[in-house]
Amino acid sequence: MNILVVDDSAAMRNMIIRTIRQAGLGDHDIAQAEDGAVALEAIRKSVPDMILADWNMPNMTGIELLEAMNEEGIKTLFGFITTEATADMRAKASAGGAKFLISKPFSVESFEKVLGAVM
Amino acid sequence: MSVLMAERLDRKSDGDYPDIHKHWDSIHGVYAARVLPGQYYVTNAKDEMISTVLGSCIAACIRDRVLNIGGLNHFMLPEGEGGMDGVAARYGTYAMEHLINDILKKGGKRQNLEIKIFGGGKIMKGITDIGAKNIRFIKQFLATEGLVAEAEDLGLEFSRKVNYFPSTGRVLVKRLRSLHLENIASEEAAYSRNLKQESVGNDIELFD
Repeated sequence: MNILVVDDSAAMRNMIIRTIRQAGLGDHDIAQAEDGAVALEAIRKSVPDMILADWNMPNMTGIELLEAMNEEGIKTLFGFITTEATADMRAKASAGGAKFLISKPFSVESFEKVLGAVM
Repeated sequence: MSVLMAERLDRKSDGDYPDIHKHWDSIHGVYAARVLPGQYYVTNAKDEMISTVLGSCIAACIRDRVLNIGGLNHFMLPEGEGGMDGVAARYGTYAMEHLINDILKKGGKRQNLEIKIFGGGKIMKGITDIGAKNIRFIKQFLATEGLVAEAEDLGLEFSRKVNYFPSTGRVLVKRLRSLHLENIASEEAAYSRNLKQESVGNDIELFD
């Protein structure tokens, strides 16, 4: 499985990748992108099996990335990992076709539950 | 009392930061926003200073040096795994992201960030140096992010009072004597107890 982690913080990207591995999903190929715009370029070239995206990012936010993918007809498993998670954000995520939202600070257990349910 | 004086006694809390109390500080001629353990605050107001008192906790003072928008956080790592893989580091990264995200949301740019770090004192007797663990984290976090602290006052057996002026980047740090230690230590102990719950993080939502 190819997973793309999208977050503007390098420390957070590292933390998400470590947590994916700690959740027992270490045998997947994991790539990273620092914002939605960089992610979209990569996705156009090769669509990953799953995208884990932050919400607030410069250039292109996580929800803008999801909406751009929808406009271009790109379908893949999409989930948010975000610091802010208001009711409005959750509704937008769900309407955009995201499969899940994990709030930070996250745990290995939350990754196991969510990724176990959607994969 | 004049109207001006009355207005200056207090300033309403910002809607984004309802828990941050502000009062007029006549010594510095600015409104002082007090940040307690676990809180953070970002402002673009030229007439505001952000104050906090640190024991073993860390305060990162971060601002966009072009737009003069900035803020300060006050955090410590929860007890437990000391490495960069565990609950502690995940929480620390989250605490830093909150502050940086709010600066970016107000228009700040990552490449314009000016960073100063304080705290991490050894204020508790005993073998475990919580302050040192907090210092290791913040240094490693900044290195991973490719950010450089332009000023720091860390470690040693001091607690510190920090006054930060985000519009200019000026920081006044006062190393405090042992007289204040007991209060600061008990405040941090209460924060540490709450952190055990807060830092675990298990908020997930699966959509249909």
